Amino acid sequence: MNIATYARRNLFRRKGRTILTILAVAVAVLIFGAIRTAVAMWNAGADEAAVDRLATRHKVSITMQLPKRYIDDVRKVPGIKAATWAVWFGGKDPKERTPFFAAFAADHNTWFDVLDEMSVPPDQLAKWKATPNGTILGDVLAKTLEVKVGDRLTINSDIYPGDWEFEVSGIYTPLRKTADRNSLVFHWDYLNNDPRNEFGKEQIGWVMSQISNASESASLSKAIDKIFDERDDQTVTMSERAFQLSFLGAFSAILTAFDLVSLVILLIMTMILANTIAMSVRERTHEYGVLRAIGFPPSYILGFILVEAVLIALVGGLVGIALTTLLINFGMGPFIEQNMAGLFPYFKTPPWVLMVALVAAGVLGGIAAIVPAIRASRHKVIDSLRRLD
Amino acid sequence: MAEATSIVTLKGINKTFHRGKEPITVLESLDLDVPTGSFEALMGPSGSGKSTLLNIIAGLDRPTSGEVKVAGANLAAMSDSQLAKWRSQNIGFVFQSFNLIPVLTAAQNVELPLLLTSLSGSERTKRVQTALRVVGLEDRMHHYPRQLSGGQEQRVAIARAIVNDPKIIVADEPTGDLDRKSADDVLTLLDKLNKELGKTIFMVTHDPNAAEKASVQRKLDKGALQ
Ligand SMILES: Nc1ncnc2c1ncn2[C@@H]1O[C@H](COP(=O)(O)OP(=O)(O)OP(=O)(O)O)[C@@H](O)[C@H]1O
Ligand SMILES: [Mg+2]
Repeated sequence: MNIATYARRNLFRRKGRTILTILAVAVAVLIFGAIRTAVAMWNAGADEAAVDRLATRHKVSITMQLPKRYIDDVRKVPGIKAATWAVWFGGKDPKERTPFFAAFAADHNTWFDVLDEMSVPPDQLAKWKATPNGTILGDVLAKTLEVKVGDRLTINSDIYPGDWEFEVSGIYTPLRKTADRNSLVFHWDYLNNDPRNEFGKEQIGWVMSQISNASESASLSKAIDKIFDERDDQTVTMSERAFQLSFLGAFSAILTAFDLVSLVILLIMTMILANTIAMSVRERTHEYGVLRAIGFPPSYILGFILVEAVLIALVGGLVGIALTTLLINFGMGPFIEQNMAGLFPYFKTPPWVLMVALVAAGVLGGIAAIVPAIRASRHKVIDSLRRLD
Repeated sequence: MAEATSIVTLKGINKTFHRGKEPITVLESLDLDVPTGSFEALMGPSGSGKSTLLNIIAGLDRPTSGEVKVAGANLAAMSDSQLAKWRSQNIGFVFQSFNLIPVLTAAQNVELPLLLTSLSGSERTKRVQTALRVVGLEDRMHHYPRQLSGGQEQRVAIARAIVNDPKIIVADEPTGDLDRKSADDVLTLLDKLNKELGKTIFMVTHDPNAAEKASVQRKLDKGALQ
């Protein structure tokens, strides 16, 4: 036996309580890890985003449309390499195999020139351009909807009523991690000519342009908006990522709030640990008195309590790390990478997040124990011995 | 002459506790002389200050005023940490409620005081075995306190008290929680420690039967010895 034997035995003296505390710490570490991962991956996604693409939309709101002829004005701006346009269609699967997917009515001649991270076999692209009701969709979405090239596909929209019938002309695959593998695109003409679109005739949702020089994106954005300054419908031009984020404005705010939540979680974890330690120390007041009488100095009592708290916290931290790795890197992460690649091209817990979580758990375990530990070690021996129950 | 053969010398001891603002005087101008190698029993009504006196002798508590000399040391002049070290080397404690650590085996409980020494692991084990043999519980080494009877627990506690080879054993109602038979075993054991190993024993007790085993009986009442 050595001095650590006693500290170690104390750890599982109240098995139920210790296990619950370890679980609480583990869950706190899991939540902390998940939030930190989301924030870190969000920022990593921002770094990966295409910097050479601009989106131009109606100045008032994304829900308002622009005249189709605006595309010609944008294309004339020097520094614009290519430009295409789209209308948001809002795809829904009648069989509900997926709750929702991004569907666009776009310019079939230029869509894949601008969105060059999506790769379509040349024969399929040619087929699509020649097929008025043709559609091309991402490989992940094609799998979900269970279609192959040549199949017929019926989808619904959350904007336009009824069934929409398409022929699958092609399936695109990603060339970059950021490519959204869950989108579907069809001819803008097909939508424009449909009677169900009578209020949106000759109108487009936004213009997406590719610029020759990424460093010019700010000046080109200004130049584009200046063209339409005096027209009935003014525009606002921004980076593609900012444009994507405007759909998800609230999401960004939530992530910021999450930042704070992750810290609150650690605080709650500390309080749970402090409570457990305070209870154990109180129960052992008499025992610590006996040890002190035998000759153990106060520093030993302090040490026993601190070591015990840090051990509980570290065990909880390790369980939490295991849970985080399992749930994120082998569960949620791959799913998010496949289905939300545009926003989260990568979704893996970075090792530093796990390290920070473990160190935080250990340090906070020590902090949680410091007050009860100091109090117990300063207790007068005869007072501890008198307290029998 | 008294100085040389006394292991405990108390002179003019006063002890006052404060409960709130109200002072409670427990011991008043108390003198005590315990000869080396004696077995003394201290009796007296509940609340008369028996435990307080024992704690002062054992270096657990300090008198409000007065001189305390135990085993050649002037306790009043020592700091708390010096006292702790002194206790571990000179005093063996036996409590009424045994006070074994429930998560440690009998042997580990006995070994506890040795963890504060520089003895090697094998030396510690040897001493633990000897101490347990003295109390007749060598075969219970690996039992936990909950697996022992009250009498056996108290004998393990006595083994813990002697493992460091202290000069004095202080016992505060060591038989208070035991039945007659176990109490007798414990008293016989204390007597043996006194007679065969020459330990000075200072025992507080309510039990006249127990007091009878001691060579000296003292009575504490109203703060003074009679
Ligand atoms: N730490 C303390 N604070 C305040 N009062 C105390 C303290 N310790 C003892 N006393 C008081 O001092 C008096 C003597 O207590 P002590 O424990 O020495 O009595 P005792 O003779 O051992 O009694 P018992 O036979 O019941 O064990 C009691 O009135 C007790 O309440
Ligand atoms: Mg008492």
